[in-house]
Amino acid sequence: MILTELAVGRDDFSRSTGWEPKPEGLCRGEVCVPAPGALDGDVVDVRAAADRLGMPLVHDAEHGVWALGPATLGGHALATAVAADPELTNYDGSTFRLSSLRGRKVVLVAWSSY
Amino acid sequence: MNPEHARPWSQAGAPTHPCVVDTTHVTGQMFGFTNIPMAVWIDEDGNLVRPAEGASIERSPLRDMDIPDGLPERLDAMYRAVKAIPDDAEAYRAAIIDWVRKGPASEFALTPDEVVERSQPRSADEAKAAACFELGEHLRRSVGHDAAVSWWREAHRLHPLNLTYKRQAWTLVTTAADATENDLMQGPNDVYESNLLDDVLGAGGFGAFIVRPQL
Repeated sequence: MILTELAVGRDDFSRSTGWEPKPEGLCRGEVCVPAPGALDGDVVDVRAAADRLGMPLVHDAEHGVWALGPATLGGHALATAVAADPELTNYDGSTFRLSSLRGRKVVLVAWSSY
Repeated sequence: MNPEHARPWSQAGAPTHPCVVDTTHVTGQMFGFTNIPMAVWIDEDGNLVRPAEGASIERSPLRDMDIPDGLPERLDAMYRAVKAIPDDAEAYRAAIIDWVRKGPASEFALTPDEVVERSQPRSADEAKAAACFELGEHLRRSVGHDAAVSWWREAHRLHPLNLTYKRQAWTLVTTAADATENDLMQGPNDVYESNLLDDVLGAGGFGAFIVRPQL
């Protein structure tokens, strides 16, 4: 997640990271991590959230941007078997989400022309 | 990062399934892809039943090719490395078919705990590599390629077995500006200390970068 400041809306945080800020904590699927201080109304304190989820935060001072990396809970790429729903792009430029295929079995294959 | 280079390949078979572009490698962060081809399986309810693993479904003819005599040394070495890539295609394709037919009753459909446990390890360094790669990609788009390089070098250092970070960075310096296809050899260059063949040979072969499916 690319950031120009370390306070973001809860919807933006959820959409970009797959972790949903709730009163009980930061949640993904059946996993909820208590995160006191990470949510103030609809605003997420990114540093607090990153600390609780084990997300790295790297800063390019010259260009004034941060990147928030993925969570490291449990030491695995996945914290839950609930599939993330990233925003991808069709070749016509329209947005595609995996959730549009709900009700069907999906094999999501990553490949490249290189 | 240039969808137009991939378009002819993705559209050649007139696919009836969605074929989409991930220009920021978000699927790598969210699912754990570190090379290609890799795949995850998702059931009708949106739950993963297999984590990211190597996903060849057809034996590549390159593995059975006869390597001509007299090739340039690096090309010869690359062909030999490709021929030595582990082959799970037949078994993996059969597993997919079994799951399609049997659903959760398939022996290849994992429980949620198994999916999480078998997903790619992610250390703090590897998570930071993802952040560095994403930051570099953002800067490449917003500022220019040179602004990305130091961040991509750091991503490579932090996660040396993530071949997608490396190949994406290399291809942008080894592919000619007017090329219609990406350079596949991704050889020695003036920007990165690493390149495809030397990294592969140094790691003991392409197999070091492949997550073989545990079937």
